[in-house]
Amino acid sequence: MRGEGEIYVVHRLLDEQICDAEGKRVGRVDDVELRGNPPRITALLVGEGLYPRRLPRRLARLARRISGPETWGKNALRIPWEEVDELTSTVKLRKKAEDLGLGLGDDPERWIVRRLPWN
Amino acid sequence: MTAPGRKRAWPTILALVLATLLLAVSGCGDLSNDELNRGVESLSALAAQGELVANGVARDATKTTYARAMARTLSEQAEHEAEKLADATLEEPETADQRHAAVAVAEEIAGLLSTLQTFPGDEHHAELVEKHLGEAGEKADAIVAQLSGDAP
Amino acid sequence: MRAILKIALGIIAAIGGFLDIGDLVFTTQAGALFRYDLLWAVVLGVVGIAVYAEMSGRVAAVSGRPVFDVIRMRMGFGMGLLALVASTIVNVLTLAAELGGIAIILELLFDAPYGMFVFAAAVALVVIVALLPFGGIERFFGYGGLLLFVVVATVFHQNPDWGEVGRGFIPSIDSSTLYLYFVVGVFAAALMPYEVHFYSSGAIEEGWTEENLKENRLNAIVGYGVGGILAVALVIVSGYLFHPLGVEPDNLGTVALPMQGAFGETGLLLALGGMLFCVGGAAIDSSFAASYNLAQFLGWEWGRYQGPRKAPRFTASWLVFLLLGIAIAESGINPVDITEYSVVLAVVALPLTYLPVLLIAGDRSFMDRYANGRIATFLGWLYFAVIVVLALAAIPLLLATNAGGG
Repeated sequence: MRGEGEIYVVHRLLDEQICDAEGKRVGRVDDVELRGNPPRITALLVGEGLYPRRLPRRLARLARRISGPETWGKNALRIPWEEVDELTSTVKLRKKAEDLGLGLGDDPERWIVRRLPWN
Repeated sequence: MTAPGRKRAWPTILALVLATLLLAVSGCGDLSNDELNRGVESLSALAAQGELVANGVARDATKTTYARAMARTLSEQAEHEAEKLADATLEEPETADQRHAAVAVAEEIAGLLSTLQTFPGDEHHAELVEKHLGEAGEKADAIVAQLSGDAP
Repeated sequence: MRAILKIALGIIAAIGGFLDIGDLVFTTQAGALFRYDLLWAVVLGVVGIAVYAEMSGRVAAVSGRPVFDVIRMRMGFGMGLLALVASTIVNVLTLAAELGGIAIILELLFDAPYGMFVFAAAVALVVIVALLPFGGIERFFGYGGLLLFVVVATVFHQNPDWGEVGRGFIPSIDSSTLYLYFVVGVFAAALMPYEVHFYSSGAIEEGWTEENLKENRLNAIVGYGVGGILAVALVIVSGYLFHPLGVEPDNLGTVALPMQGAFGETGLLLALGGMLFCVGGAAIDSSFAASYNLAQFLGWEWGRYQGPRKAPRFTASWLVFLLLGIAIAESGINPVDITEYSVVLAVVALPLTYLPVLLIAGDRSFMDRYANGRIATFLGWLYFAVIVVLALAAIPLLLATNAGGG
C-alpha cells in the first residue's frame, strides 16, 4: 500500500467503502484480519456472512439465520492486504473487481435490468 | 446468559402494559361531555369549511371537480360524525337532548354537502347550500353553548 | 446567472422535501388552530434544516461521503443498522403518504378514482426518472413547486394585521399539549431526514468538490429560505381565513381554499399545481433517499448517474420501495394520517442520523480545513439539543393529543 504508516483501524479502515482499480464501489470493509504480535493487518473481510459478527448477541442469531453460515468465497470474501493500493476516502484496490471476485451483486450480467427498454 | 429470575420478568411487564392499554381503550365508546363538545365543534368546523366551498361555487370562482371532491369528503366526514354521536353511550344522561340535536345537525350538514357534491357547478344551488350551512353551523354553536352551560 | 441555475438542487430538496404533504398539512393546521402563534416554530425548523443540509452537503463535497456512509463510518455496523432500519421505515411511509397526496390532488383536478391515481402517479414518476437526468429531475419539480408563490400573493391580498403576524415570530410557549404537539410537528415536518439524505447524495451525483462549497451554502440558505417563506405564507393564509371560522383542515384540498378565496379558479389551480409538484418532488426525494441509504450502508454501487446497468441493485431497490409505497397508499389508509405518524417517527429517529453528520462535519481528519467553524459548531450542537428534546417529547405528545385530534 502507498504511504505506509499508522492506520486507525476502527476510525478509518473498518466499515470504509471499498473501490476497485476502476473506481467501482464493491462493498465495505465488514471486518479486518489481524495476525501476529504486534498485530498487523493481513486482510480485509467483506460479505453478508460477516454481519452477524458485528451485531450484539441476540440479533446475531437472527442475522445468522438470514445470511447463512460464513461461506468463504460466497458470502464472505478475503482480500489480502497486499491488494490494497491506497487509503484515502475509500479503500482503493490494485485490481479490477472481477479479478478479486468482488462486486458480483452489481454484475449486470446477472440482472434482467440489462434488457429493459431504456438501456 | 441472564439469571433465571431476570428472564421471567418480561412476561409480567408485558401483561401489565397490555392491561393498562386495555383499560385505557375501554374508555372508548363512552361519550363524555368533553367529547360530545368536541364532536359538535367539529360539526361547526365542517359547516364552515363547506360554506367556503359553496361560496366558491356560488361566485363561479372554482373548479367543479375540486368542489365536488371537497363536498364529498366533507359530507362523508359529517356522516361519520353523525354515526359516532349516535352510536356512543352517554356518560351524562342529561345531555341526551343535545346529543339528539347534534346528530340531527350532522345529518343536515351531510345532506347539504351531498347536494353540493351532486351540483358542483350550479351557482343557485350553491347559494342556498351556503346559506343553510351557515344556519346549521349556528345551530351547532348553540348546542356547544348549551353543553358548556350544563358543564359543572 | 450560472449560480442561480445551480441552486436548483437546493430548491428541489427544499421545496420538494420541505413542502411535502406533511408540511402542507401541519402548517395549515397550525395556522387554523393557533393563528400566527407557531410562526417561530416554522422559522426554527427552517434554520435547523438549513444547518443540517449545509453540513451534510459540505461533508459530501469535501470527503465524498453521503449521509449513510458517514453513519456507518462513525457509528459502526450495529448502530448504523438501527439508523438504517428506522430511516427506511420513515422513508417508505413518507413515500406512501406522498403518493397518496399526489392522488388526492389529482382527484381534486380530474374525475377518476383515487386508486387509479396512485398507480398513475407511480408510473409517471418512473417515466420522469427514466427519461430525465438528475439535474433535469431537480429542475422539473423544483421550479414547478414555485407555483406555490400564489400563497405569498394571497398573504398580501388578505392583508392581515402585520403586528399580530410579527408577534407570531416571537417564541411563546402555550402550556396546552396540543400547542406543544404542533411545535414538534411543525419543526419535525421541516426537518424530515430524507431531505438531507437526498441532498447529500445529490451533491455526489452532481460531482461536487471543495469548489462547490459556496454553492452548497447558497443552496442551503436560498433553497430552504424559499421553502421557509412559502411555509410561513401557508401558516398566515390559513390563520387568517380558517382560525376565525374554526375550520379544522383535515384534508389536503383544504390547503388550497385560501387561494381560491383570494384569486378564484386561477388561484386554486396555481395552488393545486404547486402542491402537486411539491408532493411529487417529495415522492422522488423520499424514494431515492430510501435506495441511497440502503446502497450506501451496504457498500453497493449507487446513483442515478450510474444508470441501471452499473447500479442494478440500487435501481431494483428503488423499484421495490416504490412498490411498497404504492401498496401502502392503495391500502385505503388516509395519506394525511400516514403523514402524522411518519413525521413523528422521523423526529424520533432524527438524532440517529443527525449526530454522525455533526461529528464528521467537525472532524478535521475527515474534513481537513473545511471542518465546522465556530458558527457551524455552535448551531450544530444547539440544534442537536433541540432535536433530542423534541425526539423525547414527540411520542408522548402524539399519544396525549391523539395525533392532533385533540
